[in-house]
Amino acid sequence: MQYMLLVYEPERLNQGAEGQARLMEVSGKHMALAKAMSEAGAMQAGAGLQPVATATTVRTSAGGQTLHDGPFAETREHLGGFYMIEAADLDEAIKWARQVPVRPGGSCEVRPVATH
Amino acid sequence: MDIGRAISEARPRVVAALAARLRDLDQAEEAFAEASAAAVPAWRAQPPRDPAAWLWRAAWRRALDAKRRASVRQRLAPDDPEPAPSPEDELIAANEPIPDERLRLIFVCCHPAIAADSRAALTLKLICGLSTDRLARAFLMAEPAMLQKITRAKRKIRDAGVPFEVPSRDLWPERLEAVLATLEIAYAQAYEDAALSAEGAPFAQEVLRLSGLLAELMPQEGEVLGLAALVRFAEARRPARLDATGAMVPPSEQDMDLWRGDLIGEGARLLDAAANLGRTGPRQLLAAIHALHLSRRETGVTPWSEIVELYEALTLFRPDAVTAVNRAVAVGEARGARAGLAALDAVAGLARLTGWLPYQAARAGLCERAGLKGDAAAAYHAALALGPAPAERLYLERRLARLG
Repeated sequence: MQYMLLVYEPERLNQGAEGQARLMEVSGKHMALAKAMSEAGAMQAGAGLQPVATATTVRTSAGGQTLHDGPFAETREHLGGFYMIEAADLDEAIKWARQVPVRPGGSCEVRPVATH
Repeated sequence: MDIGRAISEARPRVVAALAARLRDLDQAEEAFAEASAAAVPAWRAQPPRDPAAWLWRAAWRRALDAKRRASVRQRLAPDDPEPAPSPEDELIAANEPIPDERLRLIFVCCHPAIAADSRAALTLKLICGLSTDRLARAFLMAEPAMLQKITRAKRKIRDAGVPFEVPSRDLWPERLEAVLATLEIAYAQAYEDAALSAEGAPFAQEVLRLSGLLAELMPQEGEVLGLAALVRFAEARRPARLDATGAMVPPSEQDMDLWRGDLIGEGARLLDAAANLGRTGPRQLLAAIHALHLSRRETGVTPWSEIVELYEALTLFRPDAVTAVNRAVAVGEARGARAGLAALDAVAGLARLTGWLPYQAARAGLCERAGLKGDAAAAYHAALALGPAPAERLYLERRLARLG
């Protein structure tokens, strides 16, 4: 089965010099994880996303479509990146999700990819 | 033969075996329901030697038919010609015993990815065959809401790829708490209303078996042993829980000759083994409380002060209304009805307990023993108004009548 691992974190964690240093450290961990996933044959795709300040949302309503500056949901946690993996079942996907370097306050959502 | 009973007794093993093969809980239940419907006329004509095996084969054949129909519909045209012999022929020819997949199904239903309150409901439905209506009553929920909860859990298991496996040992600590909590809730349902409820007894046998199976598989887990002991001690008293008229008899007044020595012995061995592991938990404490009630067999008296102490230890793990009310009753026995009432009053402030049957029943008993006739009568009436099970209703009515 294919699963998306969606990484949500409060973006302010990356702010300031300290935040940038942490970001570099976390990036290293992500690269190591991606390598492990590739070697296990689980990795299908993955990327980090630019900060939410760069997000634009196309909102559709009955009256038509409008453009908005910003992310879809105004929440404290934002989608910061994703992995798409191949796993035998939910437990295997969760095993990978546990290894995603998410900082305190963040989370990693595991969602199966629809097959039909 | 009692066809309905034979079907419900075969249900847990057959549904678990089907679910393990099909990896779809709805399909497993549907196939079982169809096989059961076919069983009624067939068994009237000729009772089967092994009802479970009959149902397993019939349900599996139906599940295969349904799968084939679905795949034909999806592809529009069948591809290769069917290999001979067909899977049904093989299955029936092999006449293999039904694999026991109940433990596996319990771990599927109790997966941490399923919402905690859905786990118990799903397990009770699939393993024990409780109706949605009965589950809704047990969980104090409207029936449509319960149905929705169960449907959602089943869909998540299917669509999110929850594995149909007994988890590897490194995952046990996380998984086990959910499984134990579920079995505990399941047993509480089976225990309710003693022998009057026809649904309860075979269902209690299932929990007895399953808790024993878990204890065998996980002898290093104190709480697993504790739960197995608890269920055995409680079941040991089942023959003595009702008097000749069908009214409930409290443990301290039960005829000890009716208690089942075999189960008491098994429970004691399990509890000793748990104690040797040196990690106390709430289920071991509950089992120990049962053991103290049963110790009346040797000493002739119920050691209420020790029971109070165990309830106090239990409060550390479970600081809830159930523990508090049970402790108050034990205090009433150990130190007098007035002390018990004081303990109960202290609890009443904690939560809205006046609409809770065990609270009113405890209050009625303590008031009666304290000589507060008016308060006792009021509490008995309040308890009766809260819909007790038949055995408890008879008991409460008799106590009320005795007040005069």
